[in-house]
Amino acid sequence: MTAIQEDDDLVFHKISSLLGPLNEKGVKLTRDTDIIADLEIDSVSLLDVVMDIEDNYDISIPVNTISEIKTIGELVDAIHKIKKEQS
Amino acid sequence: MGLFEKFEGTAAQLKGLLAASPRDPFSVSMDEMKGPTRAIVKGKEIVLAGTNNYLGLTFQKDAIDAASEAVKTSGTGTTGSRFANGTYAAHRQLEKDLAKFLGYEHCIVFSTGYQANLGAISALAQPPHDVILIDADCHACIYDGCQLSGAETIRFRHNDPESLDKRLSRLSRDVKGKLVCIEGMYSMFGDVAPVKEFVEVAHKHGAYLLLDEAHSFGVFGDHGQGVCEADGVRDQVDFYTGTFSKSLASIGGFVASNHPELEYLRFSSRPYMFTASPSPANIAAASTALAKISSDNSMRERLWDNAERIHAAFTQLGFELCAGVGPVIAVKLANREQAFMAWNMLMESGVYVNLAIPPGTPNATSILRLSVSAAHTENDLDIVVNAYTNLSQMLAKEKAET
Ligand SMILES: Cc1ncc(COP(=O)(O)O)c(C=O)c1O
Repeated sequence: MTAIQEDDDLVFHKISSLLGPLNEKGVKLTRDTDIIADLEIDSVSLLDVVMDIEDNYDISIPVNTISEIKTIGELVDAIHKIKKEQS
Repeated sequence: MGLFEKFEGTAAQLKGLLAASPRDPFSVSMDEMKGPTRAIVKGKEIVLAGTNNYLGLTFQKDAIDAASEAVKTSGTGTTGSRFANGTYAAHRQLEKDLAKFLGYEHCIVFSTGYQANLGAISALAQPPHDVILIDADCHACIYDGCQLSGAETIRFRHNDPESLDKRLSRLSRDVKGKLVCIEGMYSMFGDVAPVKEFVEVAHKHGAYLLLDEAHSFGVFGDHGQGVCEADGVRDQVDFYTGTFSKSLASIGGFVASNHPELEYLRFSSRPYMFTASPSPANIAAASTALAKISSDNSMRERLWDNAERIHAAFTQLGFELCAGVGPVIAVKLANREQAFMAWNMLMESGVYVNLAIPPGTPNATSILRLSVSAAHTENDLDIVVNAYTNLSQMLAKEKAET
């Protein structure tokens, strides 16, 4: 496994655990899960989950970026990109 | 077809909640107004305890006379924007009066408070070099102002200056303008921002602070200048926004500042330039209410007395309240269903409050938001406390049964 892949898995697991309490229907989480449509959570709750992610990684994810994100995979990629930019 | 599908989920959910609800909390019609705190709804007189009429000035005689006179002398509408034919002497005078009342050099009147925030934020911050930082619980008009601006927008944790500090520290050095947006008192829970700490953090990082005192203007501080006055930092707020639709009992909004550059908004703020100005009657009513607030503290004193009475009564009844004593007293309920039931029960007891359910409420809570008014009489408050006593008994019974 490359370092990137490993890091990818870690970020994915972190997001999954933060989304866990909101995943009321127990949908299986993959990179392709549509956060709002598949998990039936509202956009405000998503913003709050992102706040936890920000504090966890010590990064800032702009609202403008969040509104363009649909899937968990896209969120993982955005976090990597911002981690690189803000480090 | 394709346009409407996105509403179906929410519509079905709402329909489910309404099916079990004798009344629809989102389409109440005040069939006849009986004064600042009473209305007839479906043939029954109701105490209004879910408004923003904090100082109770909606039926103030001088304001009514001034508004009536303004209609006669200046007409029913201005038919134009502030930027074109919609600035009358009275609009200018009200800007001067507001600036004087608040102790700022400059003030711009907009058509609503919504547009004041939309107009200030969208004009002040612009992509790609400016960044806006907003409190997570900010009002929709602040979020919309960010969207209209298009500038990068970062949320920080509600009422948490340290969370703001971290986010300001992370910003790249390429960022030019930084605008921090907070509110004085928040409308849903009635909780109050630590404005002094926010001013310090913002200025430490070279950011400007925009403070929306929509709900706290006229209510907080020794002179009613708002939470920033109570915190002793009024003169350090960069942009003070407010509305006429609450304590001033009219319609309109404003931005005040000591920065002379505020005047640039008059030719760069779309929500200022591309909508008609407030009508002469709105301006006259707001001006008269402002004069009344400037010269008479008794309304504010009565408001706080009433707030203390209700807060103490609800605390004694065992309700979970969202904030300390203040003009907004929100009760937390277990879930949406319980909140609907409680709201219906209060209406049956002759009391109107605001029902607020997620999304759109902080932390996805379901609440009944009560607002206190200086115009509430002893009798009004007796009816309110009675209704909540019935409610607490019913909730206790419900809890015992489960
Ligand atoms: C915090 C806040 N800002 C602004 C507004 C908008 O005020 P207006 O009713 O004048 O548009 C409101 C009112 O809903 C508000 O709660």
